[in-house]
Amino acid sequence: MNDSLRVVLAMIELELRRLRNDRTEVFTRAVQPVLWLVVFGTVFSQLHAIPTSGIPYVDYITPGVMLQSVLFVAVLYGLTLVWERDTGILKKLLVAPAPRYATVIGRSMSSGVRAIIQVVIIIPVALLLGVSFIPNPAYFVAALAILFVISGGFAALSIIVASLLKTRERFMGIGQALILPLFFASNALYPIASMPRAIQIVAVFNPLTYAVDAVRGLMITGNLALLPLDVAVIALFDILMFAVASLSFRKIIE
Amino acid sequence: MTFAIDARGLEKVYKGNVAALAGVDLDVKAGDIFALLGPNGAGKTTLMRILTTQFKPTSGEAHIFDLDVVRDGAEVRKVIGYVPQETSVWSDINGYENLLIYAKIYGLPSRSRKDVIHDMLESMGLRAPAEHLVKTYSGGMVRKLEIACAMLIRPKILFLDEPTLGLDPAARIAVWEKLVSFKEEFGTTVFFSTHYMDEANAYSDEVAIINTGRMVTSGTADELKHSLRGELIKFSLSDHRVDEHTLGRIRGLEPVKSVVVTDSTLNVTVEDAETALPCVMDALRSEGIPVERITTTKPTLEDVFLWYAGTTRAPGAASSIGRVEGKAGGTRRE
Ligand SMILES: Nc1ncnc2c1ncn2[C@@H]1O[C@H](COP(=O)(O)OP(=O)(O)OP(=O)(O)O)[C@@H](O)[C@H]1O
Ligand SMILES: [Mg+2]
Repeated sequence: MNDSLRVVLAMIELELRRLRNDRTEVFTRAVQPVLWLVVFGTVFSQLHAIPTSGIPYVDYITPGVMLQSVLFVAVLYGLTLVWERDTGILKKLLVAPAPRYATVIGRSMSSGVRAIIQVVIIIPVALLLGVSFIPNPAYFVAALAILFVISGGFAALSIIVASLLKTRERFMGIGQALILPLFFASNALYPIASMPRAIQIVAVFNPLTYAVDAVRGLMITGNLALLPLDVAVIALFDILMFAVASLSFRKIIE
Repeated sequence: MTFAIDARGLEKVYKGNVAALAGVDLDVKAGDIFALLGPNGAGKTTLMRILTTQFKPTSGEAHIFDLDVVRDGAEVRKVIGYVPQETSVWSDINGYENLLIYAKIYGLPSRSRKDVIHDMLESMGLRAPAEHLVKTYSGGMVRKLEIACAMLIRPKILFLDEPTLGLDPAARIAVWEKLVSFKEEFGTTVFFSTHYMDEANAYSDEVAIINTGRMVTSGTADELKHSLRGELIKFSLSDHRVDEHTLGRIRGLEPVKSVVVTDSTLNVTVEDAETALPCVMDALRSEGIPVERITTTKPTLEDVFLWYAGTTRAPGAASSIGRVEGKAGGTRRE
């Protein structure tokens, strides 16, 4: 256990160190969420087309856009494992004195580092657009923690998908095929109540829904009624993804 | 005697029915430098990955210092260092950071971590570029950094998959000097694969040759060279015919293994050319046969390699046997 935690922390530190030398990617990745907020957010805000129980639409979708960004970063990060299969890094990590699942969890959780950076870039943009956050540092930190943890689950999900890929081709396509359904079949852009019945069912089984609800409650609405459920679902999702990813990892390394 | 590696009947069948290993037995003595030679696709990397616990053999078993690679994988991983064939350092952080992250992954105590890393940078000659991004390193520097990472925990055995691939001769020597010093200083066993025969010849205590998933031979480099039929002495005779009587006499000499006459050359195969030469010369002189020129050819490790692995035991392989003959001079085994 101690070994595993050590490995996970080392991999998170690695990601922080890599980030220092790779700043352009941080900003190019931020373009998409910022456009969502600035264009989509402000346009729909004026249309008043979506029932948001009183809060401005830009405020409503800010957590959704944050989670979309987290999802995007995490899924692509996990898929890069297919690339690393062809380098020696993965092989060398496997030979380190740590359980294999620690490598998988470490890899997955370090996607959270990149994800949080994206969120941190989105916040000033949201503030400029007049989004009002709940000024409670504890809530804020809790929201970041949720974003960080769900990122690990999504990265593990994409490791599972990566283990099924034989080649690197269709890499981006697979990424999109994973991200877009999760994003649109969730409460990121509109309340579940306003969805068609079929999509509602998908949204209920979509872990993103729970993360959006938690972050929206902690950052924007202050409605924490479902927070315990949200946290439980996210934890369960992560554990499940880590477990399956650890098992399917064998396929990647052989 | 403890063996650093002890493997019996290792087989590995990859998905798609590629039989990469077809029953490999291997003994590597503790503290030895052991060279694994074999053509592309022979199974060197597969063998190394099984021994380093990356995946299980399809059948057979292997022990590293008496630890079973399948059952005691976690324990095995504590005593081995490994440098894969492909690059295994992060190129977007610097050399020091690479060592730091590996030190943390390996769980080096934080008190001694910095010292160990600095010693390692120093001993691998990487102190100056330690703060540079690994992206900017040359191939030789990358290899040294990888070996440094693998040596951080002072492993009992170091597995190196083609450690000097693509390095210039000076960089290769530098890498090998370090490896030999690890062996001498810490008693580290070194198990490496290579396509450079001179390296195996110069630095290894033992050599094994693997071909199509089977060990075809092993021994010290000298033993292997002697295992070919011997050394060849060629006497160029100034247009003199050697009669049957003389031939018989030479054939009868103690150290001579075989004699073949072609045109005006007499090819004598012996165990050891230096000691055999005087007595063959005596015989020729007493028969009154003048010798114009003498050349001796000793088999090299390359000849050994070509002999054992140059042919894939497939039809049409005769030409590469011919190469062995041409080079080492009739050193074919009967
Ligand atoms: N992951 C894999 N999946 C399927 N087949 C594989 C895999 N790795 C290796 N092989 C096959 O197994 C055989 C042995 O390969 P291996 O990489 O062990 O050879 P090698 O001796 O290391 O060769 P080289 O000198 O080219 O590195 C080859 O036929 C190779 O194509
Ligand atoms: Mg290989």
